[in-house]
Amino acid sequence: MNQQLEGILLRALKREKGARKAAEKILEGKSTEFYDLTQKLKKSNFKLEKLIAEKSSELRGVFENIVDAYVVMDLRGNVIKMNEPATSLLGYDNNQENINLFTLVDVSEVEKVKKSYSKLINNGSITNFQVKINTKSNDQKLVHINASIIYDENHKAIAAQGIVRDITEIKNLELQKEKLLLKLGKSNDELQEYAHIVSHDLKSPLSSIYALVSWLKEDNIGKFDKNSLQNFGHIESTLEKMELLISDVLLYSSVSLDESKKLNVDLNIVIEDLKKIIFIPSHIKINVKNKLPVVFGERTKFQQLFQNLIGNAIKFNNKKNGLIEIDVSEKKSFYQFSIKDNGVGIEKKYHDKIFKIFHSLNDHKDSTGIGLSIVKKIIDLYNGNIWIESDYGKGTTFHFTLKK
Amino acid sequence: MKGIVLTEFLELVETKFGLEVVDKIISASKLESEGIYTSVGTYEFSEMLQLLQHLSAHTKISIDALLLVYAEHFFSVIESSYPGLLAIYKDPIEMISSIENHIHVEVRKIYPDAELPTFEVIEKTENSLIMIYKSSRAMHHFGLGLMNKTFEYFNSTAVIDLEKIKEDGTEVKFSITKNK
Repeated sequence: MNQQLEGILLRALKREKGARKAAEKILEGKSTEFYDLTQKLKKSNFKLEKLIAEKSSELRGVFENIVDAYVVMDLRGNVIKMNEPATSLLGYDNNQENINLFTLVDVSEVEKVKKSYSKLINNGSITNFQVKINTKSNDQKLVHINASIIYDENHKAIAAQGIVRDITEIKNLELQKEKLLLKLGKSNDELQEYAHIVSHDLKSPLSSIYALVSWLKEDNIGKFDKNSLQNFGHIESTLEKMELLISDVLLYSSVSLDESKKLNVDLNIVIEDLKKIIFIPSHIKINVKNKLPVVFGERTKFQQLFQNLIGNAIKFNNKKNGLIEIDVSEKKSFYQFSIKDNGVGIEKKYHDKIFKIFHSLNDHKDSTGIGLSIVKKIIDLYNGNIWIESDYGKGTTFHFTLKK
Repeated sequence: MKGIVLTEFLELVETKFGLEVVDKIISASKLESEGIYTSVGTYEFSEMLQLLQHLSAHTKISIDALLLVYAEHFFSVIESSYPGLLAIYKDPIEMISSIENHIHVEVRKIYPDAELPTFEVIEKTENSLIMIYKSSRAMHHFGLGLMNKTFEYFNSTAVIDLEKIKEDGTEVKFSITKNK
């Protein structure tokens, strides 16, 4: 019995010892685990600290190097932080004095700023906000602000930051530009009116001369010799040419863009209509080689453009079988047209001059030298180009482009 | 199975039946651990089951009844070792219904790899509670013992009905009604 009890006790003791050792081993393992964990935590802590230091330094760099004025304020508009450009723009320094948004803005703008500030707090950002401010030296400036809210880790708004740009100069320049444009428009109108009046005034003495000459002829029927009658004829045709010249000047001066008259214009129809208006002698053929595009603009301008070019091609054709070919090719941002004739051609030395006003190369009776100037002016209005190719004696091709 | 369940069990066996019975049930069982247990260790549940079976055979007391007594002992272990866990409760129903959401969370802090049963609250009123116990260990009577002791701890009593949803006892419905 004692032996049995001894056995039981020994086994119990053995179990207790074993349990102690097992527990010690487990705890050892745990403490190693804790040690490793602590090391890992220390390491990641170190990394985080390094990261924070880096980011802070980056932010400081941005804050200091940013060219525009940068201001941070609390939600009541008290300036907490400002960079060098902000100090020089506003004249205040938040390290030396308390500054509030509402002491900066002009009295007339306070309501507007209040609204925008609450919008900023509610929406998180505002862009393109323009406001008049008064600097410390009482200079009024117009500034442009982009601002956003700074949140804490719980997404609670804690401050507002903004980039402030002085646009006083830009705004002034813009205003100046607007004034200039207005002035320019006005003087343009005046000039057109002037051209109208002048041409009208010039025309009336011409009609008087015309009338006087015809009376003179009628009153002296049978008294003038053949030579004098021929000179009267010359006077009359010179007067007609003079009147044509004046009409063309008037036309030229009135070529300007009227946005309200712009619409989609089918050039095929324009050409068809022109064929009915222009006198085309029977020995001249007009061919349109490809379907012409529909372009956006003033119909009358396009008509004037083609009328002048086709008119010239007819006028200066000396061949037995005249041929005028109209063609077009489509480019990426524009159409390129060509009007080719087999007429008299233009000498190389005149290629640049022909687009200048009053440069008629020919003493043709209906030619004033203004037609091509009008053509050039219309093409300029549509941001296009015009140039010519010509073989003197054989024909001319006018090329021009119209922006799509 | 956490070692503390085994060490406390053998402790209780020793107290109630003597070291001889402890020696007997350990020797009769085939134990990988050779009966060497420490509260911080983790062991096969089958070891607990064998010890229970042999104790039941030796004492002629059913396993469920043994578990019930053991649970009552175990509650006192909790009471003396983790008084803070009980101190935050004022009411037994509150405490039992928060097994899953609070007590087991605390258990995991001490024993991260513990395999715990689930107690799903089906219905709860001020004085009654219906819960579904789920565990592959089928130790529902251990739960019952702890619940009894919980009411006792708060100086009250309750009627606790057990209804086996699964025959093997791995899913059991506890219907608790506090006596007024």
